Amino acid sequence: MQDPIAMMKKPMVRYSQKSVLIIEDFAEFARSLRGMMITMGGKKIDLVYNGDDAIQACKEKKYDIILSDYNLGDSKDGQQILEELMHFKLLKSSAVFVMVTAENTTAMVMGALEYQPDSYLTKPFNGHILKSRLDKAIFKKDLLSPIVRKMRAKKWQEALKSCHEIAEENPKFKMACLRHRFNCLRSLKQYDKALELTTQIVNERPIPWAMLGVGEIFFAKKEYERAIELFTDMTNEFPMVLEGYDWLAKVQHIVGRPIEAQQTLQKAVERSPKALKRQKLLGEIAEENDDVETMTAAFRQAVKFGSNSAFASPDEFVKLTKSLGLQLKGNSDADRQKLLDEAESVFSKLDHRFKHDPGIQFRSAVAHADFSSITNDQQKVEKYLSTANKLYDKIEEHIGSKESIEITESLKHLGQKELAESILEEAVEQYFDDPAFIKQAEKLTTNKNLIENSRKANQLNTKAIKYFSTKDYPTASEYFYKALEIAPSNVNINLNNVQTLLKRFQSGEKDQQLLLEAERLLSGITRLAFTDPRYERYSELSRLTQLMLQSI
Amino acid sequence: MKSETALFSTVLASTVHDMKNSLGMMLDAVNTILGDIPNEAKQRNSAQCGVVQYESSRVNNSLMQLLAIYKIENNQLPFNPSYHNLYDFVEEQIIAHTPLLDAKGFEFEIDIDDELEIVFDDSLLTMVITNIVGNAIRYAHSKVLITYELDQGTTIKICDDGPGYPSQMIELAGDYIQGINQSTGSTGLGLFFAQKVAEMHQHGENRGSIYLENGGPLGGGVFKITIP
Repeated sequence: MQDPIAMMKKPMVRYSQKSVLIIEDFAEFARSLRGMMITMGGKKIDLVYNGDDAIQACKEKKYDIILSDYNLGDSKDGQQILEELMHFKLLKSSAVFVMVTAENTTAMVMGALEYQPDSYLTKPFNGHILKSRLDKAIFKKDLLSPIVRKMRAKKWQEALKSCHEIAEENPKFKMACLRHRFNCLRSLKQYDKALELTTQIVNERPIPWAMLGVGEIFFAKKEYERAIELFTDMTNEFPMVLEGYDWLAKVQHIVGRPIEAQQTLQKAVERSPKALKRQKLLGEIAEENDDVETMTAAFRQAVKFGSNSAFASPDEFVKLTKSLGLQLKGNSDADRQKLLDEAESVFSKLDHRFKHDPGIQFRSAVAHADFSSITNDQQKVEKYLSTANKLYDKIEEHIGSKESIEITESLKHLGQKELAESILEEAVEQYFDDPAFIKQAEKLTTNKNLIENSRKANQLNTKAIKYFSTKDYPTASEYFYKALEIAPSNVNINLNNVQTLLKRFQSGEKDQQLLLEAERLLSGITRLAFTDPRYERYSELSRLTQLMLQSI
Repeated sequence: MKSETALFSTVLASTVHDMKNSLGMMLDAVNTILGDIPNEAKQRNSAQCGVVQYESSRVNNSLMQLLAIYKIENNQLPFNPSYHNLYDFVEEQIIAHTPLLDAKGFEFEIDIDDELEIVFDDSLLTMVITNIVGNAIRYAHSKVLITYELDQGTTIKICDDGPGYPSQMIELAGDYIQGINQSTGSTGLGLFFAQKVAEMHQHGENRGSIYLENGGPLGGGVFKITIP
């Protein structure tokens, strides 16, 4: 009789050397998993019972193997854990994540294609199966890890080379290599090559990730009608792959078909309500469509599912109270007291959850005052306005463009013209290169010069970028400085200027003054939150500047 | 009338779900007990241990098939085809049955080109193959062979050295829901489900199918599932 284990053709994995994290809330099963790992030779095994402890454990230690139950009671579920670990880069490139589920047919619904575990295991299973899965997953992960490491370092060309070499030597992993290859090409914006790759796969077989890939490239190339056609096909062929709906709705929205976009998202939400991002988008589109009921329902769900999530933001809280306010304004039959109570409870959850962020507290206070004005509760309006005024000076970071508009609108509505105008002025200085924002700001401001000046700064910035692209760096710098005279604290122009100064240094003007000036400009950027989309560029330019300074 | 049927299905589905949870907890408990038994005693009772594990995984598999059928009827069953290595896939189905194979002293053989990559939904096909292999071990004498054929797609063949399929079952070809027969203990569920899963796999004009025959390389039953 043959021993199935001896039959394995994979190299031996030495489990005694591997650190293992087991995430399981059910003690009996946790014990049985640990037992299986010990039988395989495992020695370094940690056990946690909920998602928060799991995230903490992964911050403290880089595990080789993570076994997580999908269903963890009231805490974060296994999928949320995986998404957080990947998003916050808490997993090493060779780590293997195995999701344990009670029922395998739902597995695909749970997992977004972008965040898939290395393997799903359906209960019940025995130690032999676990070992076989781990052997295979570890073998594959180790083999592909050079690609993943290079992609993490954004060395796309080198990653592409690895994809090619590894696929040549291991035909078994050709598909996995093609998928990485596609991601590299997309990051390099080599859309034609990326499209050719996925189209070829789809013509042979409609595989969900490849089909999504084709649509994503149509989208990136702004071929919206083709994208709509493809994503529609995809939702028909794979009705349970929910990213198809997300993409379809996104494109429908962009081409100005918000009603259809809402219908598409509602289909996805019906199939899987448990998705924060999807509920938020649905709420926003429903708001646009003046569908207050759908808006309320969607933001209500977003707040609910966000309670366990690291991706929760103040947006869904504020929007939920806004939609409740809209219901109060409309003369619906809804129980008014119930709506009021709900809104108060949402505000208190919001204030509690983000209690350490004065910017969010400020936004909440303004929204709270605005909400109280709906019921003419003058006492509350004054209370929250005074809170807002006290918080305003404590805000350390730039307020985002959308948030600035929302706050300005509320303050105007409450008759706080002065504060409204100063918030808008700051926002215009930061975001004048965003045409959608300027359009809204123009409607709100009474200061005609503000918009006029921002146009000037924008023109100067555009002109400078043109010089930069023709490699005339000194002239580019000249125009960036002129733009900075109008908008001295604009982060983008400052960063553009820093980049230009570094280029000047690199391309021959080996003058230390250039680097010192870059350093000075960077040190002037003090109000950038690390969650700000501009932060990454700021930190990369800071790193480069320091590197060049050290090299002198 | 129709809505009553739908209501019944929903009740059935949630009950099945609940049963599965109970079964899962029972199995965990059994495994814990087994872990505490000294090796000597375990070897003495290895046949019984194998039976407990096999029979419970059989019940579990049936429950999962029931749930899956419920979802097919309600258009909720995710279908996520992808490229998989056929050898690795089949090997794992065998490994899942290790306790029973050991207990019964069975021999098995996989005769599949280890470079063959084909497109299928692995979680669905796992339920099908696990069930068929389990039945083969249950009814055959001492040997199972899994092999394949390439023609209009890939056909996985599970052959055994048992008494073969009853002729009335073979004649049902394509209509396995009719196979429900109280007297033989055959519920027809496994084959009905296998057929549903096979049909979900399509490529161009071709649809997947299943086929039963007797004889084959080991002289017993042969189960074939074709994935286009």
